[in-house]
Amino acid sequence: MSATTLLPLQQDSIVVRFGRWLRRDIRGALSLAFLLLLIVVALLAPWIAPYSPTEQDYANMLAEPSARHWLGTDDLGRDVFSRLIHGTASSLYAAFLAVGVAVLVGVPVGLVAGFMGGWVDLAISRCIDTLLSFPAIVLAVAVTGAMGIGLTTAMLAVGLVFSPQLARLVRARTLVVRQELYVDAARCFGASLPRLLLKHVLPNAIQPVLVQATLLLAVALLAEASLSFLGLGVQPPDVSWGMMIARGYMYMEIAPAQMYVPGLAILLTAIAFNTLGESLRVALDPTLRGR
Amino acid sequence: MFLYPIFDTLVEWDYATLAPRPGLAKAWHYPDPRTLVLTLQENVRFHDGTPFDAEAVKFNLERNLRDPRSNIRTELASVESVAVTGPLEVTLKLKEPDTVLVLILSDRAGMMASPKALQELGERHDRSPVGTGPMRFVDWSDGEKVVLTRNEHYWKPNRPLVDGIEFRIITDSATRLRSVISGQADVAYHLDGRQIPLIERSRQLQLVTGPTIYCYQLYLNMSRGPLQDVRVRQALNFAIDREAFVKATMAGAGEPAYMNLPRSHWAYDEEVAKLYPYDPDRARALLKEAGFSNGVELDMRGYSDQGSVQRQEFLLEQFAQVGIRGRFRTGTIPEMSATYFGPEKGGDFLLSAFTGRPDPSQTYALMYLEDAYFNAGRVPPPPGFLEALLRSRSTTDIEERRQALSVVQRIVMENALVVPLAFRNEVSAASARVENMRSNLLGKPKFEDGSLQDT
Amino acid sequence: MLTRKKLGMIASRLLQALPIAVLATFVVYSLMQLIPGDIAVTLAGENASDERIAEIRELYGLNQPFLVQYGSWLWNAVQGDLGVSLLTREPVAETIARTYPTTLLIVAYAIVLSVVIGVPLGILAASRPGSLLDSGIMSIASLGVTVPNFWFGMILALWLALGLNLFPATGFASPGDGLGTALWYATLPALALCTNGIAEVSRQLRSSLVEIQSSQFVRTLHAKGLSPASILWKHGLKNVGVNLLTVISLLFNKTLAATVVVEAVFAIPGIGSAIVNAVLQGDFPVVQGAVLAMVATVIVVNLVTDVLYTVLDPRIEQA
Repeated sequence: MSATTLLPLQQDSIVVRFGRWLRRDIRGALSLAFLLLLIVVALLAPWIAPYSPTEQDYANMLAEPSARHWLGTDDLGRDVFSRLIHGTASSLYAAFLAVGVAVLVGVPVGLVAGFMGGWVDLAISRCIDTLLSFPAIVLAVAVTGAMGIGLTTAMLAVGLVFSPQLARLVRARTLVVRQELYVDAARCFGASLPRLLLKHVLPNAIQPVLVQATLLLAVALLAEASLSFLGLGVQPPDVSWGMMIARGYMYMEIAPAQMYVPGLAILLTAIAFNTLGESLRVALDPTLRGR
Repeated sequence: MFLYPIFDTLVEWDYATLAPRPGLAKAWHYPDPRTLVLTLQENVRFHDGTPFDAEAVKFNLERNLRDPRSNIRTELASVESVAVTGPLEVTLKLKEPDTVLVLILSDRAGMMASPKALQELGERHDRSPVGTGPMRFVDWSDGEKVVLTRNEHYWKPNRPLVDGIEFRIITDSATRLRSVISGQADVAYHLDGRQIPLIERSRQLQLVTGPTIYCYQLYLNMSRGPLQDVRVRQALNFAIDREAFVKATMAGAGEPAYMNLPRSHWAYDEEVAKLYPYDPDRARALLKEAGFSNGVELDMRGYSDQGSVQRQEFLLEQFAQVGIRGRFRTGTIPEMSATYFGPEKGGDFLLSAFTGRPDPSQTYALMYLEDAYFNAGRVPPPPGFLEALLRSRSTTDIEERRQALSVVQRIVMENALVVPLAFRNEVSAASARVENMRSNLLGKPKFEDGSLQDT
Repeated sequence: MLTRKKLGMIASRLLQALPIAVLATFVVYSLMQLIPGDIAVTLAGENASDERIAEIRELYGLNQPFLVQYGSWLWNAVQGDLGVSLLTREPVAETIARTYPTTLLIVAYAIVLSVVIGVPLGILAASRPGSLLDSGIMSIASLGVTVPNFWFGMILALWLALGLNLFPATGFASPGDGLGTALWYATLPALALCTNGIAEVSRQLRSSLVEIQSSQFVRTLHAKGLSPASILWKHGLKNVGVNLLTVISLLFNKTLAATVVVEAVFAIPGIGSAIVNAVLQGDFPVVQGAVLAMVATVIVVNLVTDVLYTVLDPRIEQA
């Protein structure tokens, strides 16, 4: 098997496969499009939003939706639509940060555990089992409370709490790969451990991690909302969807729209992440294809 | 708040002005500035049947003076000794003239517990208190409820008017209101201004409201950064539209605060209150004068609940108009208070509140004396402050005290030692069968004269 | 029933749980060491002098090395003494005893609802795989996974309680006040919590049913002339029960976590609220004790599931 002849062919096939997948899986394609749109909105928020997210109008508080304010105004007379757009950035940042941390911590730990085996594996596996028996949000609440409030610390905590899930997944996958001959062969040639892990083991574990990470993005989004609702998330003057719900809760009886709007945004985004994750699972796993 | 029905205090206060009035001590006088003589009510018994007398008062006061666990100690700092000078007469010897002591005895420091119960129960008394009040303690489950029942042998005639009180501890104000709307409770205290329309909309509820001395304010650290400059502190005061603050964050249920006391307080000074009208141009000019023509960046601290966050967002926007920039770092109340007031001294200012004390001189001492906890920078007070404060404490004449306190207040505000924002109104909702419920200036609910109609 | 092999497996499960439990206590205890600043300053409160702070440090043993503090805490915890709340001086064990039953009731209620609603949905979906009904049910299921529970709870409170007055909007009744009342109060929180469970149960059920249907074994039965419904009923569910058990055990952990926020919405004084309040007030003995109680429950539930799994699953015998 020669790598030079295989490589271009593989690249081609990824693009082709991707295009074919988009055409076949409408739901996955729609989710992907929606998420890309959200990212664009988040990046271009200051130019898209009709108003500043902090501009206050005390003569016009908790106003109903109107031509001027598409989704009405909030408790300080700020434009809800603009705040929703600006909140996109915080909420997506939160989700990606948490999952990023989970991947960065979970994947190496899982790789090492699965590849080294022996007492290292045993110790790491016990730690994973322990952390998995903590109810996730509870641990995140406790860690955030301890480390200090703020969106970044909150999502670091969530990421740490998620990481054992990925570590377990990668470990299982690594164990399988290790059994396969070519790693043993590489080992015999004296390849160093990091090189071995990176070149041979990681690529085989990457697909399930990709699927799981996409699914986790939805969970992280919900976690941001929960922590912000409890007052452990974003700090003024920033805004996130979870914080908007928390504020809406204060005015639930007077202006329910305050609560519906950010909740729906979270729901739709979480559905998109989830659908995309499921689509990826089907697309990447040969045994599931065709179902 | 559960303590008031269980414990009577030696002195009580007038609901509307907070002026002292007789409690368990039916009279008091100062034979000389360093001696306070209390004459006690007769025929009062504790809930455990033991008599309330001069010995009991001596026991309680000495315990409050000594108890290492309590912070009441500092309130009684001026007391040198307590002596029983008659079966119903107690004489307090003072280290220095202190006429404020009378009002201090209307709060925690003046609550009288049964000496017998204190001796027998020790620390456990905290969890099963025995006093002389209109209600006897029955049960307490933490974070949930406190159950009190009627004291049949109460010394005040025709009181209490209810058979018992059950306090349910509900931390969320929306939930508190809902518990009254649904009929699970008769009274909900400490609601938010934004809930007033909901109370008014509901026909089976009545709104009980009135001013309090609970004040939202910025505690300043004057020992660091730009706030060392009095002009920057004054700029903060000029930059805030307090009327809008009350309207936006309190739904109008409050009073703009231009000094440490509200309009209805006996020591309020109209002239001092005129010092800081809303004037963003003045604020900008002052900042420029102080050398911050491009604006100034401050390290702001606050709490993380949504109500606090709302106030922070309001302020950030107001400050942005005059060129004061920054972000709030929020945290839990103990964390933020400890890092701001404690040895760490983090942040330029803390947006918080002051619950108020029965006597204004207590407030000023707690906030501005050099070693005061709430003086985050431990900065010595401006010249004249200490003298005026001591003068306010050395006379019982209310007019003289008012004048001395006016001087104190003027010094505080001219030097902008604080940025007061607004006084909170007490907002309570009561079911229709509740009669005669009133709020009071201290904002600590007493249900003394309240009664329930049979339905 | 219980062969030596199975007993051996159960014993090893028990042995595995032990280090997890000990590790969990260590994690819980070290959490509070992350707190920035000096906890003694917080404890000393307003007007505290430096001597007072030192006094507090002495009083709570905060001047001891970390491992010594952990050791003595663990030793006391094993004996059931989890310390006292720094704020109310209530023993933490009592706090847990007071708040946890309420939470467990809601969690159990939510899991029962998940199963009662999820199982029929799963069977319905599996009965016609690929049909409109199937994809409809599965779409609803994915909604269940993605809806923020506490937000759903607010909507339930707004519509069913404040709007239609069917249930109490907030508060709780402890099981001691009569189970009926307690359940009435717990209904909205349980409904808010069960969406995830419904989704998990119905999905799991559907996929294992579909798998069984396409298996050789069932095809043979089919060939023998048994109706699809009776095959599903007799042979499908029996095998599926074991899988369901695993789902429920996972669900328990998830639901327990989700109650923390849902309790805040409904102002339920459960263990979740206790943790959140303690975190917000820096009352670390309560945080430690309550988190530990939750983890211990999860470990026990996992253990029980594992044991049941071992006992019930016929495949283990064959292997």
